Amino acid sequence: MKATIERATLLKCLSHVQSVVERRNTIPILSNVLIEASADGALKLMATDLDLQVVDTAAATVDTPGATTVSAHTLFDIARKLPEGSQVQITAADGKMLIVAGRARFNLSTLPRDDFPVIAEGELPTKFELPCATLKQIIDKTRFAISTEETRYYLNGIFLHVAEADGTPVLKAAATDGHRLARVTVPRPEGAEGMPDVIVPRKCVAELRKLLDEVDGTIEVSLSPTKIRFDLGTAILTSKLIDGTFPDYSRVIPTGNDKLLKLDPKSFMQGVDRVATIASEKTRAVKMALERDRITLSVTSPENGTAAEEVPGAYTSTEFEIGFNARYLMDILGQIEGDSVEVHLADAAAPTLIRENDTAPALYVLMPMRV
Amino acid sequence: MADGQDSDGAAPVRRIIHVDMDAFYASVEQRDDPALRGKPVAVGGGSMRGVVAAASYEARAFGVRSAMASVTAKRRCPDLLFVKPRFDVYKAVSAQIRDVFAEYTELIEPLSLDEAYLDVTDTVGAHGSATAIAQAIRAAIRERTGLTASAGVSYNKFIAKIASDQNKPDGICVIPPKRGPDFVATLPVSRFHGIGPVTAAKMARLGIETGADLRARPLAWLQAEFGKSAGYYHGAARGQDDRPVRPNRAHKSVGAERTFETDLIDLPDLLAKLDIAIDAAWTRVERAGLRGRTVTLKVKFADFRQITRARSFAAPVASRAEFAGAGAALLSALMPLPLGVRLIGLTLSGFEGADVPAGGQLGLAL
Repeated sequence: MKATIERATLLKCLSHVQSVVERRNTIPILSNVLIEASADGALKLMATDLDLQVVDTAAATVDTPGATTVSAHTLFDIARKLPEGSQVQITAADGKMLIVAGRARFNLSTLPRDDFPVIAEGELPTKFELPCATLKQIIDKTRFAISTEETRYYLNGIFLHVAEADGTPVLKAAATDGHRLARVTVPRPEGAEGMPDVIVPRKCVAELRKLLDEVDGTIEVSLSPTKIRFDLGTAILTSKLIDGTFPDYSRVIPTGNDKLLKLDPKSFMQGVDRVATIASEKTRAVKMALERDRITLSVTSPENGTAAEEVPGAYTSTEFEIGFNARYLMDILGQIEGDSVEVHLADAAAPTLIRENDTAPALYVLMPMRV
Repeated sequence: MADGQDSDGAAPVRRIIHVDMDAFYASVEQRDDPALRGKPVAVGGGSMRGVVAAASYEARAFGVRSAMASVTAKRRCPDLLFVKPRFDVYKAVSAQIRDVFAEYTELIEPLSLDEAYLDVTDTVGAHGSATAIAQAIRAAIRERTGLTASAGVSYNKFIAKIASDQNKPDGICVIPPKRGPDFVATLPVSRFHGIGPVTAAKMARLGIETGADLRARPLAWLQAEFGKSAGYYHGAARGQDDRPVRPNRAHKSVGAERTFETDLIDLPDLLAKLDIAIDAAWTRVERAGLRGRTVTLKVKFADFRQITRARSFAAPVASRAEFAGAGAALLSALMPLPLGVRLIGLTLSGFEGADVPAGGQLGLAL
């Protein structure tokens, strides 16, 4: 294999794939990136962790087609440190890969390309397109609620399923960690009808979200009950899906919460952030006292003292107090774009519904804390 | 270079001991009842639906194995003596052996009442060698409990566990890092922890009988055939296993279940059986002093299909009555049942201070 590629192009390509590679690997080849130069002038880079693989392609001058694998992080670091604007010549032969750029030369160990594990996609019968902006919205408004607890592995991703809402076909995305739930509803894209319910793993979501920042237009999504593939133009991301059953989350979305609080999400969030400053525990609990059109946020810390702040809000129901994890509350408020947010409450121990309004695509459910 | 240290400053070679009591429940019964000594003994229910929980070595000679249906065991060994399990006694003995472990290391990962992994990497210096520690532990267990234990000593959990089984009963097997790969190579893959009969059969079909056969296959090929487990097999075939010894795994749930003599379908019958399971479960909850918020009902149907239904409460379940009430409500909600039920169980989870962060974050009833 012999090819020449611009340093900036190589770096960009590598940055798309290298983060898939885990820092610690017991299987040496999983630390490597597969480099494939084809006669039509394309350099293909691929990285995998056996559950997720990302392939990116860039233009290169290919003298001799071929393929090899080298340490992804080493190659990435080299590409980063090479002088800007340099041409990088890559030559692979006899178990080594020679990199020449300007006056720098690197001779890297390789592993045979045939040992590189490629995820077999199989049939991906469901195919649809989503605007890049929609996919970003789905991810941004749900990913913070994804569970990191390995015991409930089926919560370690975003659940995608199609449904009918008020007679219109929709695609729903939901994530929960057992304390809070986030759900986004968008019109069902053409081709998604009959789609199997899938859980997209957290790492896939994170890698996809990074790649989405660099593209526009539409993303082609193909999936089966076990695999999903996102085609972003030059980059293609293929992931296994979480093999599990996402719980029926609809039953934790309250429908009868009769106490409505309306306030400005920004000043509310800033108020929560301010009073939470003095909380000393790792989990910062904020108490909310609701009185007629008067909301008081407060935190009491045995070590530090107390903090309180009144935030403007519209409230006309019974007076009561409720506590929330400040982080959770801020995660949700940070996703509200408008200048008003609705908080639907029942009592101090019941799930609370938060949304911009009843037509907003996103909806959040938050369990309180005992304070 | 200090013993066990890599020269390049990487993680030192670990010293892991796997201690496994020999035919534990059966040995305890033979110890406490001289009439059982030297006889084939099975601990477990001798009734139609019972299962052998443990078999003495005399019984094993007849092909009696744990988890075997009692009926099958009786057929293989007509003189088999069934003894009812006495879990409180086993627990007491288990506490004794854990006390022994604690004298040598803090890194103890119990797998069950009668086996545990010990990481003695940091304490080996005070006692000479990991092998010396293993022998001292086996001697102390024999002295204090009158029972024998076998030990495997190696550099990771995977090999230590296989090694403890190598010279059973009352034996020890030491596999140093140098010998690890060769040791694994000679083993039939069915001895690998995590390769069950189904996978072993599939491997046999693909021409993989031993660790060496497995090692000869490239990762990509394993990946294509076995998916996610490929990485583990690949490492195991080379004697590699990086899993740490994890001490103090906290209780995630506490409960009890009961299998019935005959399948039941009517609510009153099931509620009566559930009540028996609740008695056992609540006793354990109280003994452990746990306060949990989630009650989970487990129902196994006649066709072995199993379902669970759970309910979480805002406050911890405080009494047997609340626990039983939640169980009855979950069960009633399943009526009418499509099929007879062979097993019912109720567990409590969501313990305070466990998955619930400090300050009392409430959970969604998922």
